[in-house]
Amino acid sequence: MDPRRDEQLIADLQALRPTPRPQFAAELDERAAAGFPRRSRLPRPDLSRFRVLSPKRVLIPAAGFAVIAIAVVTALLASTEGQDSAPRTLFSEQGEQSAPRAHPSPQDLDGFSRDGAATAAPSAASAAGAATEEAESGVMFSEEVPNVESRPSFRHPASFRHRAVERSAQITLAADPKDVDEDASRVFEAVHAHNGIVMRSSTEEGRPGEAGAWFELLIPSTKLDDAMAAFSDIDAVRSRHETTADITAPTVSAAELLKESRARIDSLLAQLEAAETEEAQEAIEGELRHERRHASRLAAQLTHLHKRADYSRVSLQIETGGGSESSGGGAWGIEDALDDAGHVLTVAAAVTLIALAVLGPIALLAFLAWLTHRVWVRRERRRVLS
Amino acid sequence: MEQTLVAEAKEAPGEADLAFDRLYRSSRDDVYAYVAGLLRDATAAEEVTAAAFERAYRKRNRFDPQRGEPRAWLFGIARNAALDELRRRGRESELTAEPADLNDIGADEGAEHSERRLAVSAALERLQPAERELIALKFFAGLNNTEIAQVLGIGESNAGTKLHRAMTKLREACDGPA
Repeated sequence: MDPRRDEQLIADLQALRPTPRPQFAAELDERAAAGFPRRSRLPRPDLSRFRVLSPKRVLIPAAGFAVIAIAVVTALLASTEGQDSAPRTLFSEQGEQSAPRAHPSPQDLDGFSRDGAATAAPSAASAAGAATEEAESGVMFSEEVPNVESRPSFRHPASFRHRAVERSAQITLAADPKDVDEDASRVFEAVHAHNGIVMRSSTEEGRPGEAGAWFELLIPSTKLDDAMAAFSDIDAVRSRHETTADITAPTVSAAELLKESRARIDSLLAQLEAAETEEAQEAIEGELRHERRHASRLAAQLTHLHKRADYSRVSLQIETGGGSESSGGGAWGIEDALDDAGHVLTVAAAVTLIALAVLGPIALLAFLAWLTHRVWVRRERRRVLS
Repeated sequence: MEQTLVAEAKEAPGEADLAFDRLYRSSRDDVYAYVAGLLRDATAAEEVTAAAFERAYRKRNRFDPQRGEPRAWLFGIARNAALDELRRRGRESELTAEPADLNDIGADEGAEHSERRLAVSAALERLQPAERELIALKFFAGLNNTEIAQVLGIGESNAGTKLHRAMTKLREACDGPA
C-alpha cells in the first residue's frame, strides 16, 4: 500500500465532494430561519405546539383526562344504579310491602280482623248486612310514609274524632343480629308504656337474614301515634305503613238495629204479660228467645266494632340482613359512607377494567402494527443498500 | 457545542433553537454532500437534505445525548430520509447516477488531474451502495469513525474495517480498467 497514492486518492475524493447550489443553500437558510415550515401544498393545521411537547408533558394531561372520564362514567353509573339501590339502603320505606310475608298476617289471627264482623257472626243476617254495609260504604284511608325521618308522626283530621275509625299500621325495623333481643325488649316496653297488648310475638336468633322478630300488637287508637314514634326510635326504620278505615256506617247501623231489637223485646215482653192463653204465651216466648239471640249478636257486633275503633292493630317486624342495618338509628352515618365509598370505588374499578378491556387489545394491535411497520421499513432500508 | 442540544432545550426553548441553528450551520453542506454522494442525484439530494433538516428540527427535543453525538443523530436522520427516497423510487443510486461533470472536474487543473478524478468518479460508480455510503460519510461529510459507527449502528472497529475494505476496492477499481 502506497501512502502517497492513498493521500492522492483521498485528495481526489475530497475534490469530488458535492457542494449545494448557492440558491438551494440560501433557500434552506431561509427555511431554517423560519423554523422549517412544511412545504406541503395542502394547508395543514399548526401542530407545532403539540410536537414540541415532551412525552412527560403529554402524559399528565392524558392521565388527567382519563381520570376525569372515568369519574364521569362512574358518577353516571352510580347515579343510575343508585336509583335502584338507594331505596334499599337509605330510603327503602316501601320496598318490603310486596315481599312474601314470613309471618302470619293480621287476617290470619282471629276474629279481630277487618273481616271479623262477618266471621264472628256469620249467621246473623243483620250483622252480615252491617258488615256488607261496611265494606260498601266504609271509607278506607291508607297512607304510606315514604320518609320516616321527615314524617315523625301521623295525625288524623279532627273530624275523625266523632266517627268510628279503625286504624292499623305496619312497621319494619332493620337491626343487627346482635341487637334483635334488645330491640324486642324495647318493643315490649313501648307496648306496655302505651297500654297496648302483645297478641303474638316471635324472636329468632341467627345470622343476618335469619335472625329477626315479629309482633302482632293492639295499641289504643288514641295512643297509636305516640306508640309508632316509640317503635321508630328503637332502630332503623326500613318501612312504615298506616291504614285507616271509616267504620262509622256499620257501627251506627248495628247500634240502630240493636236499639230496634231491644224495643222489639220490650214489646214482646208487654205482649207476653197481656197474653191470656198458653198457646199465645208459648208463641210469644219463642219469638222473644229469637229476638234476644238477635239482640245478643248485635250487641257483640257493636262491641266488636267499638273495639276495632278503640284499638289499632300494629304489625311490627324486626329484620336483619340486606345491608340496611344502621347503628345510627336510621341516620346516614360513617358505615353508610364507607359502604357508599366502597360502592363508588367498585364501580370506578369496573369502569376502568372495562375501558382497559376495550382499549387494551386496540392498543396492542396498534403497537404490533407500528412494530411491524418499523421492522419492515428497517428491512427495506437495508435491502436498498445491499 | 452539540452536547448541550437537549440540555438547553429542557431549560429554555429559545436556547434549543439556537443550538439546532448552530448544528444546522455546521452540518448543512456536509449533509448535502453525503446525501448527494449516496443518491447521485443533485435534485433529489436537495429535497432529501431539506426533508432531513425538517425532520431533525421537529424531533430536536427527542434527542438523547447519551445515545450519540448530535452530528451522528442528524446524519442518521438524513440517512433514513435518503434510503426512504431510494426505496420510494424503487431504484438504486447507481441506476440513475449522474455522471460527474467533466467540466467541473479539474477544469482549472491539468489533464492528469482531470483523468485521475474522472477515474475515481467512475470507480465510485462501480462500488456497492453500502461501500459508496461509507466513503461519502468519511470523505464527503467528514465524519470520523466513531460518528460513522453511530450513524450506521455498528461498532467503531467494524466501521473502520468496512471503510478500509471500501477504500481498497475503490483503489483497485481506480487501478483497473475504467
